[in-house]
Amino acid sequence: MLKIDDLHVAVGENGDAILKGLSLEVPAGEVHAIMGPNGSGKSTLSYTVAGREGYDVTAGDVLLKGESIIDLDPDERAAKGLFLSFQHPMEIPGVQTMNFIRTAMNARARARGEDEISAADFLRSVREKAKLVGLDDTKLKRPFNVGFSGGEKKRMEMLQMAMFEPEFAIMDETDSGLDIDALKMVGDVVNALRAPSRGFLVITHYQRLLEYIKPDAVHVLAGGRIVKSGGAELARELEQSGYEQFVEAA
Amino acid sequence: MSNSLLINPSAFEAGLEAAFLARSKPNETGQAAFERFAKQRLPHRRIEGWKWSDFNAALRSTALTPAPKADRIDPSAFAALNPIEFTIVNGRVEAPAEEWPEGVRFGVMESVGTIEELESHPIVSMNVAMTAKSLGIEIGDGVELERPILIRHIAEGGGLSFAQSMIRVCPGASVRIIETYEGDGGGFSSHLFHGLVRDDASLERYLVNETGEAAVNHAICAVKMEARAAFRQTSLSTGAKLSRHETLLHFWGEGASAHIDSAALVAGARHADFTSHVLHKQPHCTVRQLHKGVAADSARTVFQGKFEVERAAQKTDAQMTANALLLSDGAEADHKPELEIYADDVECAHGSTCGALDDDALFYLRQRGLSNEEARSLLIEAFASEVIDGIEDDAVRDVFAARVAAWLEARS
Repeated sequence: MLKIDDLHVAVGENGDAILKGLSLEVPAGEVHAIMGPNGSGKSTLSYTVAGREGYDVTAGDVLLKGESIIDLDPDERAAKGLFLSFQHPMEIPGVQTMNFIRTAMNARARARGEDEISAADFLRSVREKAKLVGLDDTKLKRPFNVGFSGGEKKRMEMLQMAMFEPEFAIMDETDSGLDIDALKMVGDVVNALRAPSRGFLVITHYQRLLEYIKPDAVHVLAGGRIVKSGGAELARELEQSGYEQFVEAA
Repeated sequence: MSNSLLINPSAFEAGLEAAFLARSKPNETGQAAFERFAKQRLPHRRIEGWKWSDFNAALRSTALTPAPKADRIDPSAFAALNPIEFTIVNGRVEAPAEEWPEGVRFGVMESVGTIEELESHPIVSMNVAMTAKSLGIEIGDGVELERPILIRHIAEGGGLSFAQSMIRVCPGASVRIIETYEGDGGGFSSHLFHGLVRDDASLERYLVNETGEAAVNHAICAVKMEARAAFRQTSLSTGAKLSRHETLLHFWGEGASAHIDSAALVAGARHADFTSHVLHKQPHCTVRQLHKGVAADSARTVFQGKFEVERAAQKTDAQMTANALLLSDGAEADHKPELEIYADDVECAHGSTCGALDDDALFYLRQRGLSNEEARSLLIEAFASEVIDGIEDDAVRDVFAARVAAWLEARS
């Protein structure tokens, strides 16, 4: 479903190479985890796949459902069903949360040639899903993420993921800064969305989250490449042994 | 003209003098004002307070040629407010033909000049010399006027337009006034607003400037506030080639409070100037001032704000914030916040920022599915929203939000 093929990415004015031949394939219906030390290129990978400016693909390709997306704008990739849960979600003062989510959903719907969601359906759905992610109704009326705690911002990411029902979701350290209850909530959202037609790439430092989301595969990212792949047990191994062996190897 | 009062007049000034002499019967006040103007002349960039907004440069070669053409705001924009509506077309007052609510009086009267503090102001001198009739409105003791008053200033053709309004809000009374500057007039328009807010009274003034891209306009609002009076002003300017909105606020009594908010959204080669001077003469007064300037293309916003706190004005609480958002490399924002404080027990602060749209926020919005244009519009709207959301009256806020949305729509 998501295929990353020998991806080389350079970042910044100096064109520093961060990803150096990364290859990875997540078939439909599967959840893959990427683990790796700081500076290994995890966020670069998520930004590049989502199409952020300034992340130059110098070689390789990214395919979503068999179609190359590297020449598409971020919103065009979003319209194709790609969702990124941000490690550091933005605050947007002056934009009411509910209005924002609805505006975004309608923009995606228009781009996909689908009908916009009705006000009544939206309201029912957003309230139901806010409950699922543990966000109070009053938060939905506040400016987007303004004054929210780190945990609440992550819940807001999960709320949007649940609302958008993306075909493929990348979760960039969604677990960082979350307590056990919130981790369980993230697991619940992902597990509820798991479907034969949907894929997930979960980027994390720790294997804790993977107790709630059982991955089909775990990949170790170090030095800009996948250096090891395995099953769920690899995450537990890493928790024991650390990343040092891979950093040296890379 | 051998007996000209002006030495080496520009084309504009010569046209102005001809128009002045053609007035049917300028009264003494008008005559004195023109004589003052003849000495003061059009303000230019070598005068400190006008260094960023040079009216002489903008106007000197403007020939005053009337050529009627209308470009007005669709009247339905204000329908929800059910206002009492005045229209002032090129300075000529058209009063509504309806019964006035009890306790409210209005009149179209001979211009009575200005306050002493403004006699040194060249454009005020010009205004007083040239205005034929001024609009006077009085809200009687304790009258809380439910319907807002809408005053539409429409400048048409390439000529001159001068208008004056005087509003007196008697003790305990309250009123909301919405003013628009509109029309495609390519000449010069000037509006002088005098307000008096008596004890415990409240004046809310909302201003929209959507004049055409050839227009040069100047509006000045001078308000005196007595004890415990409340004044709120929100201005939104998207119009004019060159516009300057001045506010002169005097805290004349104790315990009064004011909000002076403004937003300038300008594109093309437009230039919007918001200049204000708040004078604290009495203790326990509060002022909050927020300015948001958005400049695209080669447009320019100017903010000059001054709080002056006299020795007697202890316990003054005054805050001024000015933020600018520049949407292109050619856009410019000039800010000059000033505090002049002679009292020792006061809280006064000012802050000023200038920046571009946040790349992180833009990427976030686009990842959520918004196009580049949609994402930019949303962030610009959000930037201006602090001023718009500060409008407490729901119906007026809706009108202003719609004007901002219309501006964004027209640009995308």
